[in-house]
Amino acid sequence: MNYVLTRTHFDDTATLREAWAKYPDFPRLIALKIDVQRRGVHYTDGALTLVDPALHQLRSANIFGTRDEKVRYLLPDSLLLRDGTSIVVDPAPLEWGPYVVDRVDDRLFLFDQGERLEEVELWHKPAFYDRSTSSGVPMNLIAQARPQRINIFQSSFCYFWAKDDGGCQFCDIVNFTKQQREVLSDRPERPRARDIAETVKEALKEKGRFTTFCLTGGSVLKGEELFDLEVSHYIETLQAIGENFTTKKFPSQLVASAFNEKQLRRLWEETGLTSYTSDLEVLNERLFEWICPGKAKHVGYREWRDRLIRAVDIFGRGNVNTGIVGGVELARPLGFQGEGEALEATLSEAEYLAERGVTTIHTVWVPRPGSQFRDQVAPSLDYYIRLASGLHRLRVKYGLSIDFDDYRRCGNHPDTDLARLL
Amino acid sequence: MSLAEFHALIAAPATLKILVTTDEDGTPRPAVSDFIAPGDGGTLLYFEPLESSKTQRNLTRAIWFDRPVSVVVVAADGRRFTARGRPQRAVIAGPRFQAHYAAFRADRGDVDLAAVWVIDVTGVEGLDLGADIATEERERPFFRHLDRIARA
Ligand code: SF4
Repeated sequence: MNYVLTRTHFDDTATLREAWAKYPDFPRLIALKIDVQRRGVHYTDGALTLVDPALHQLRSANIFGTRDEKVRYLLPDSLLLRDGTSIVVDPAPLEWGPYVVDRVDDRLFLFDQGERLEEVELWHKPAFYDRSTSSGVPMNLIAQARPQRINIFQSSFCYFWAKDDGGCQFCDIVNFTKQQREVLSDRPERPRARDIAETVKEALKEKGRFTTFCLTGGSVLKGEELFDLEVSHYIETLQAIGENFTTKKFPSQLVASAFNEKQLRRLWEETGLTSYTSDLEVLNERLFEWICPGKAKHVGYREWRDRLIRAVDIFGRGNVNTGIVGGVELARPLGFQGEGEALEATLSEAEYLAERGVTTIHTVWVPRPGSQFRDQVAPSLDYYIRLASGLHRLRVKYGLSIDFDDYRRCGNHPDTDLARLL
Repeated sequence: MSLAEFHALIAAPATLKILVTTDEDGTPRPAVSDFIAPGDGGTLLYFEPLESSKTQRNLTRAIWFDRPVSVVVVAADGRRFTARGRPQRAVIAGPRFQAHYAAFRADRGDVDLAAVWVIDVTGVEGLDLGADIATEERERPFFRHLDRIARA
């Protein structure tokens, strides 16, 4: 069977308007965000005249890649809508039919097929981006910023990739790292604790700039027990961050492998960490085995899920979640055959987790050129609206908050944007 | 009243200001607030210290679903006004937010700032009971009880 779909031009400009009309109770700005994430953006030359590298955050060191075959660093990192919603989005080739960011007077607007939709603002560069650590490493290679969050990427290598076919099929972490290496040659393989402590100290000098940390990286399988080394690395990093605070605990999120109870207790007791995320990526055992073969082989779907549930006893309800790559459950050829079926299965499994105190958040799947799923096509905007609404309804039903991964502390999950109303 | 006069009234420390938003079911939610200031053009700024407040939620709902809000203003000399408007923008990050954050904390002490809401004022109406009574008696003569005009 030929299952590689030809990528089609997103010639569905009516879709956003149709979605606005069909779902009057779904915020238009969030529907727009989703569609911009689905289709990507193109910055016109006029728009780029408003980009000031001294003020704005340009694309910087990142962990996951881009839909552009070539990473162009002189483009803006991402966008903010007027309600404070972030659109974490990368540029897409024009032939894919992305939204266009263009200049009107001294402001930037999103356009689709020539129609002006909404004003957007660029993310601002934090002051620490212009500093270096005492060991001479530029601080923007140690930590990266979102509008209100500090990201620290523990490593850009995932050991699931070490064996052929072990990496998740939608993921481009290792290929993207190789791609970035050509441009960001000074970037350390793994940031040193001292550099992290100094960078955080510098970042905190800017009042009102940050509300949380997000630590993540590829899985590290090594250690006496599986993932022991990964846990030790995170403890070292979190302790270095913690030096800068008067309180033992500080708002923070760790997005990491599925750790066992002993490892989770170490993280809770030895660091200031306040929340824990471990991504199941797809909420279906059969698809998990196909899409995440490394995770399936080393831990398995049920054990991964059980570890999340056990983490609730340590971090508390509302402080543990799992991420899914929304839409990847429809990947060809083994994914669900229809959007209705995919949605029902996903929400039913998300409910199983919610009943046990684990919330599910989704990203918008972008089939990236550096991933195995490069030739696939993400589902419709309609699907994402139903997925985001469904996950939000579960949080309402089970009284689960998502404060550590919401519109402001993260900004990459349409379903948690809706939590602003919780 | 001119915009400048209205902004001066808003900025006066002795002026009482009440922001009225609506809950999900439409119930009006008044919040007496010292955190309302004049903004650029015909806007008002509302400084919300709490991410979790009902007003923060209602303003989010208002910007998402195009719901109106109002600000009731009572001047020190007793004059009363209602400003109607719609939230136009939530400033939650960036240099403008950070400047407000620093100023807010310098002014108010150790409090946080969740957002600066920019409210586009679409109209200001004077609330003058005496004038309203005169207008009603002149223009709507049926709206009065007969005993009020009966011979003693
Ligand atoms: S666990 Fe999967 S998604 Fe995460 S970095 Fe490794 S391959 Fe990528």
